[in-house]
Amino acid sequence: MNKRILEETVMRTLMKLSTLLILSVLVIILITILVKGLPALDLAMITQSPKGGFYLGKEGGILNAIIGSLYLAGGSTLIAVCLGLPIVLYLNIFARPCSRLVRFIRFSLDVLWGIPSIVYGAFGFTLMLFLGLRASLLGGIIAVTFLILPIMCRTMDEVIRMVPRELLHASYALGATRFETAFTVVVRQALPGIMTAVLLSLGRGIGDAASVLFTAGFTDHIPDSLLRPAATLPLVIFFQLSTPFPEVQNRAYASALVLTVIILAICLTSRALTGRYTKHTIK
Amino acid sequence: MTTNPHIRADRLNVYYGREQALKNISIGIPANRITAIIGPSGCGKSTLLKSFNRLLETNEQVTISGSVSVDGENIYGQGVEVTAVRKKMGLLSQRPYPLPMSIYDNVAFGPRLYGIKKKQALDELVERHLKQSSLWQEVHHRLNDPASSLSIGQQQRLCLARGLAVEPEIILGDEPTSALDPASSQRIEQRFLELKNDYTIIIVTHILRQARRLADYIIFLYMGEVIEAGPAREIFEHPKEKMTREYINGTIS
Ligand SMILES: Nc1ncnc2c1ncn2[C@@H]1O[C@H](COP(=O)(O)OP(=O)(O)OP(=O)(O)O)[C@@H](O)[C@H]1O
Ligand SMILES: [Mg+2]
Repeated sequence: MNKRILEETVMRTLMKLSTLLILSVLVIILITILVKGLPALDLAMITQSPKGGFYLGKEGGILNAIIGSLYLAGGSTLIAVCLGLPIVLYLNIFARPCSRLVRFIRFSLDVLWGIPSIVYGAFGFTLMLFLGLRASLLGGIIAVTFLILPIMCRTMDEVIRMVPRELLHASYALGATRFETAFTVVVRQALPGIMTAVLLSLGRGIGDAASVLFTAGFTDHIPDSLLRPAATLPLVIFFQLSTPFPEVQNRAYASALVLTVIILAICLTSRALTGRYTKHTIK
Repeated sequence: MTTNPHIRADRLNVYYGREQALKNISIGIPANRITAIIGPSGCGKSTLLKSFNRLLETNEQVTISGSVSVDGENIYGQGVEVTAVRKKMGLLSQRPYPLPMSIYDNVAFGPRLYGIKKKQALDELVERHLKQSSLWQEVHHRLNDPASSLSIGQQQRLCLARGLAVEPEIILGDEPTSALDPASSQRIEQRFLELKNDYTIIIVTHILRQARRLADYIIFLYMGEVIEAGPAREIFEHPKEKMTREYINGTIS
């Protein structure tokens, strides 16, 4: 009896410690960004594009990269949803469950998830050379779509698998086809999970530097066409941090702060939006 | 009563993988009557019920041989639309599964599938079928609330309304009252007694007393075989088979 209680206490303490560890890492990151970045942040930073010599400490801002990142992450997330949702519905509703093909697709997605983003960048770059594209918003969107598609699919897959069979049967019993069931009943039931998948992917897409390094290029201008290069926040941070000037390095933290706030804002709004749809979910 | 059955199963065999769940079932289900399928747990009652609306085949491991005819047409025949078969039948499951949408949309789901789009027509259908399942009184002022906000008993009546809204001929119930409180069960039973004038009703039940209260016709299954089938009074009062007698007296279960 005593041994069991001891075990319980030790385990509980370990769990608390690891939670604390993760939380403190998060808090330390936030504090660093705030302490170093907040003084360097001003209105010009988020309302102007870089003027000449911005990366040497002169005037300007990172509006071009904010917009570039939003376009890039938004575009690739949209494409990834449009490709990913049919894949996942196929796996769960249309295909024979546990068939070899289904297991193979799941396995491939897991492998793809683990591939480092620089490889997607290089692959995207090769693909662009083949298609005759230059470093551009489009190129970046393609590379980031590759990067986030496995994340999107596997996350949605896990929630759609949880939809009770009986719910599907209820819909079939009313004479609905698999297609109708998938796009009305299943999507609605899994909507909160689908939103989570979209958010995870968006967050990953907006924060990744390596995949856009070669593919999206870099520029001081706000992208006005899919075929023009686009600056992105992670690269801005990277370039600013690698200058020798302390004030420019502090701007990197300010840029990181902007990126963090954007991600936070996206999370909060979509949470609020899903709240309105989850009320229909059947438990 | 078996002269012109609404549903007729003929040498129906069902396997889950290698395991045989139904063995050579040949029965007729009379129209506009309540038929109860009774038998101990695991004897194949749900399987038999699901073979009537072809829900069995959503399970990949199932193999089916033999035939089931509805209105004289083999529903397992070639070129038969499975959705058309299912449209003829409303299903109530053991636990209600409302669709993840509002009360109104749940009832309108079927009619919308079949092309009814006009709001007025839908409103009228929703009201009629909610009344038919005696739920209207309780929900008419909150039709846009999520179906999951209803109590379990109300959800089961919503599922009944949802099934009736596709204008079926047959109502299938797989232990439709087993998750409900006595008052809700009684309401469902009451509905069934009224609905049998217009529908053929088939229920699976564990509760012999419920079968006695409702059923006109009884099918007694044991280990995947039909032991005895016939009018309820005969089965309950003068069972021909020894096994039926034992089941009814509670010696086997
Ligand atoms: N999906 C399945 N896969 C494999 N075997 C199954 C499956 N469903 C049912 N069976 C088997 O088929 C037989 C009949 O099952 P069924 O669910 O029809 O019984 P039941 O009479 O409805 O039982 P209960 O009264 O407990 O609901 C059982 O032996 C069961 O183990
Ligand atoms: Mg059953």
